[in-house]
Amino acid sequence: MSRPADLPGGERFFEVRFESIGGLGAHAAGQVLASAAVLRMGLNGAHFSSYGSEKKGSLVRSFVRLGPSERPIRTSAPVETPDAIVVFHAALLHNPATFAGLLKEGTFIYNAPPGPVPEVLAALPRTARVIRVDALAIAMQEKSRPNAVLLGTLCGQFPFLDSEIILEALSEEFAGRHPEAVASNERAFRRGATDFEEIPGVGRAESDLPIARGEPAWGYRTQPEGGIIPEPGNMAWNDLSASRTGLIPVLDRDKCIHCGMCDLVCPDYCLAWGDGAEGGKYERELVGVDYRYCKGCLRCVESCPTGALTREIEQPGLAERLRVPLFPGFIT
Amino acid sequence: MTTQTLRAPDRASVSAGSARQKLDFKSGNEAAALAARDIGFHMMGYFPITPSTEIAENLSKMGANGEHEIVMVAGDGEHGAAGICYGAALAGGRVLNATSAQGLLYSLEQLPVQAGTRVPMVLNIAARAISGPLDIRGDHSDIYYALNTGWIMLCARDPQAVYDMNFAAIKIGEHAEVRLPVLIAFDGFITSHQKRRIQVFDDPEAVSAFLGKRPDYPSPLDTEHPRTFGPYMNDPDLINNKVQQWQAMEAARRVIPEVFAELEKLTGRAYPMLDAYRMADAEVAVVLINSAAETAKETADQLRAKRKKVGVLSPNVLRPFPAEEFRTALKRTKVITIGDRADSYGADGGNLSLEVRAAIQRDPQNHAQVLSRVYGLGGKDFYAEDAEQFFAQAIAAAGPAHIAEPFAYHGATPGRPERKAPAGLPPIRAEEVSRGMAKVRRNEATGRLEVELAPLWKMTEVPNRIGPGHGACPGCGAFPTLHQAYNVMEGDVVVLFQTGCAMVVTTGYPTTAHRINYVHNLFQNGAATLSGMVEMYHERVRRGELPASRDITFVMVSGDGGMDIGMGPAIGAANRNHRMMILEYDNQGYMNTGAQLSYSTPFGHRTSTSEVGPVLQGKRYHHKDTAQVFAACHLPYVFTASEGYPEDLMRKVAKAQFYAKNEGLVYGKILSFCPLNWRTADDAAQPVMQAAIDSCFFPLYEVEHGHTTLNYDPDASGRRHPVSDWLGLMGKTRYLLKGENAEIVAAIQAETDRRWARIKAMHEHPLL
Repeated sequence: MSRPADLPGGERFFEVRFESIGGLGAHAAGQVLASAAVLRMGLNGAHFSSYGSEKKGSLVRSFVRLGPSERPIRTSAPVETPDAIVVFHAALLHNPATFAGLLKEGTFIYNAPPGPVPEVLAALPRTARVIRVDALAIAMQEKSRPNAVLLGTLCGQFPFLDSEIILEALSEEFAGRHPEAVASNERAFRRGATDFEEIPGVGRAESDLPIARGEPAWGYRTQPEGGIIPEPGNMAWNDLSASRTGLIPVLDRDKCIHCGMCDLVCPDYCLAWGDGAEGGKYERELVGVDYRYCKGCLRCVESCPTGALTREIEQPGLAERLRVPLFPGFIT
Repeated sequence: MTTQTLRAPDRASVSAGSARQKLDFKSGNEAAALAARDIGFHMMGYFPITPSTEIAENLSKMGANGEHEIVMVAGDGEHGAAGICYGAALAGGRVLNATSAQGLLYSLEQLPVQAGTRVPMVLNIAARAISGPLDIRGDHSDIYYALNTGWIMLCARDPQAVYDMNFAAIKIGEHAEVRLPVLIAFDGFITSHQKRRIQVFDDPEAVSAFLGKRPDYPSPLDTEHPRTFGPYMNDPDLINNKVQQWQAMEAARRVIPEVFAELEKLTGRAYPMLDAYRMADAEVAVVLINSAAETAKETADQLRAKRKKVGVLSPNVLRPFPAEEFRTALKRTKVITIGDRADSYGADGGNLSLEVRAAIQRDPQNHAQVLSRVYGLGGKDFYAEDAEQFFAQAIAAAGPAHIAEPFAYHGATPGRPERKAPAGLPPIRAEEVSRGMAKVRRNEATGRLEVELAPLWKMTEVPNRIGPGHGACPGCGAFPTLHQAYNVMEGDVVVLFQTGCAMVVTTGYPTTAHRINYVHNLFQNGAATLSGMVEMYHERVRRGELPASRDITFVMVSGDGGMDIGMGPAIGAANRNHRMMILEYDNQGYMNTGAQLSYSTPFGHRTSTSEVGPVLQGKRYHHKDTAQVFAACHLPYVFTASEGYPEDLMRKVAKAQFYAKNEGLVYGKILSFCPLNWRTADDAAQPVMQAAIDSCFFPLYEVEHGHTTLNYDPDASGRRHPVSDWLGLMGKTRYLLKGENAEIVAAIQAETDRRWARIKAMHEHPLL
């Protein structure tokens, strides 16, 4: 059923921004939505994502722009004032750019387990719809992925995004290579449309949120010439916790024989070592993990000969509680 | 996504043309690949480079599924790819290439050769900023370099134009009066990666009627008519060849509108030489190439609603330059803002700006004021408000005060004194990292080096020369490789990383993970660059300008991809035997750009340019034996290692440092895990690499002064397994274990056995 007349906004395009981490499927979600709108609902549309090189675990934004069929889409710029923002990973809520530009009547959907409403959501417009969905849990129960759930939630909020048509597009996307995923994706999508929580009274902002265009640290008056970076190792300020997808290594120091194998296989250089106690058994000791840098690959767990490092589900707050900073007093 | 299921066929979106068409939703790269399929090129020669790589990837996937029969040849670099295309086109078939940025510049030398010898083909360019510093996003600094190559240049503003212009390019370039190669430039990422509604042909007869057969130009394959192609030609002849080229380009001025008109009959879509939007009575115009012009049209609509007489011009053709069309369109214009997505440094305007100014200068009646603006560099987005400023500046200049800067950069950031990049970690001093983790001694009896390694736990005392915070994928093997290597290196180290994963993820401006001096150069030239640095170091030490006591070790780090495109300079450096070390982390593909095949990718392995389908099964030739190539350079030391065997690796790196400081060039090939593109779990490094080594696919050995020593013999230890045990562990190769692919597995096994037997023979025989 084609209902372009139901597109909100009149003069404007209907615009969605997916905020995600590489590997979670935000790009695919945007593609399914936009191609369904264009090829099956008779709308005009555009879809693209912003990412750099082909890495898993880095920030990805995916943009969908829809309009009536007869209206040409000329701009190719990123979506800055979205009607809807869909956040794939709760860690992204701590980045103010995640909220940027949301219209005051906009819709904000985020993926998180039930629990207290994050304080940062107060930055949202008072009149925006705020929706929490536990996309990861639903996806795990249905053997699907969070993007199918979140797409279901999004379409449920906008009746002109015909859920049945988009579901067809989603199924067709998987029918070729992963036919086994079709039924589970459908269940995940349908649960996304119903199993969510609308949270009233969260936002405090009175108007559309301002757009965010980052200002570079250095400009042409201050950038060292030739593109030189005179600050060795300053990437250590990066926080990569959002790259993890639910699992972390946890150290049991009682079981550790401080052999050093884990240190040789850790790609993220996030294991903290110190000198052993004077007269103690070990000259060097593994003290813990700096989870700021740990991407949760678990190669350390795999390499551990004594089972001192184990794979654990990352409950909220666990990594913060156990973290041993590599650069105490500098990067805390 | 199929295109069959359109629910709401709406007239507004279907253009009226005589050919059957269907709706689709595709990016510029996908559109180029679809056009290639529909044209049915004979051959594509290419080398992957962001953001144009998807064209070859899409064609690889379609080819594996039997949707086309284009022969796909992966060059050793873009220069090689351009040569492959030149030879193929000279041999008489329809040929396609795709590239971007440095890839265009690396092939640039070949482009005038092809134009001057009058050999048509089609080159798609997803335009991207050129280095340095390296930037993967879009601007026009690459395509401006092609302006003087003699190629016809078409500009495609959106995915639809990319699709359409590929058909036009064939017909224009092959026209008897033209006979020139054609390139199609579209905006990297903005157009190459943005999906839009497009129409594609659903009418093979109409397409082939439009394209016709490729004319029978003289070809070296015509053995009955021997001819010489590409003679030595000095004065007074060359100038006459160039007159012909100029005449061909002038003929193209006539031919291009004819071809576009014919295409329009089929598709209903028109491409004038110069796209003029609301220009009829415009007093103010903005001139832009490609996607930015489309953005400016929306702004022009808004200004028109406010009764401002504004319009937008954008060329669909850049060579031949539509000068007459510009003169006509700008006859009544008072002020023109011309935006260039690249500067021609010191020329007071980018190339578009200079050429439009030159064009209207021929019209004595035209007194338009021109504002030249350089904008959108390195992928900086062009928003409606940028277009508003271009118009506003022109409108202000048209006003009584005539206020405007003739030339300016638009959208740059001055920077503020109080804003800085994050502070660095304390530098690592040589003493801190020189803790004797590997003691190297020469055995005077054998002449070979012996290494005593400290216990592994002790190595945790050594501060890492790369800090944390880098953006590699979870489980990446390049970083354990580097950590292990750095653990045993002593003293000051200067590293040069070639372009690749480890380079990109460790230096995202304004941050770096490197805590020692680090240099990047593009992967076609890293070894040469480092060799220059090595020689300058020794010369400056000799002249007393630098202390000899620092005793710097020079290390180049490259992926296996960099050892394809950079093989020439690396062999050159090896032949000159500079005192330096080349460490290659081999993850069997171009992983930085999304897992395309490298020459180190083994036979049958799936990559994004060696796809698997009913017609094709992965890479069609065996992996390059890079270690043996370097061994043939008679270097002091060559080794293979794996991050899965840290002690073996560290022993070898310690020896490598000794040789690189005291004797000459060292090469080491290190098998490194890539879970994303090997399609394994992030923590599967150990079993997968163990299986690669136990199957003897990747033997661990070293060649010291020509003597080969096997460091691990799975036969002797009874651990030898068939290669299928290894192939079954990775998603990229698991398909090989199906019965119908037994021949491929047998071929991998046979090649593995043959190479293993040779290494073993070398190990056993002192002269081999």
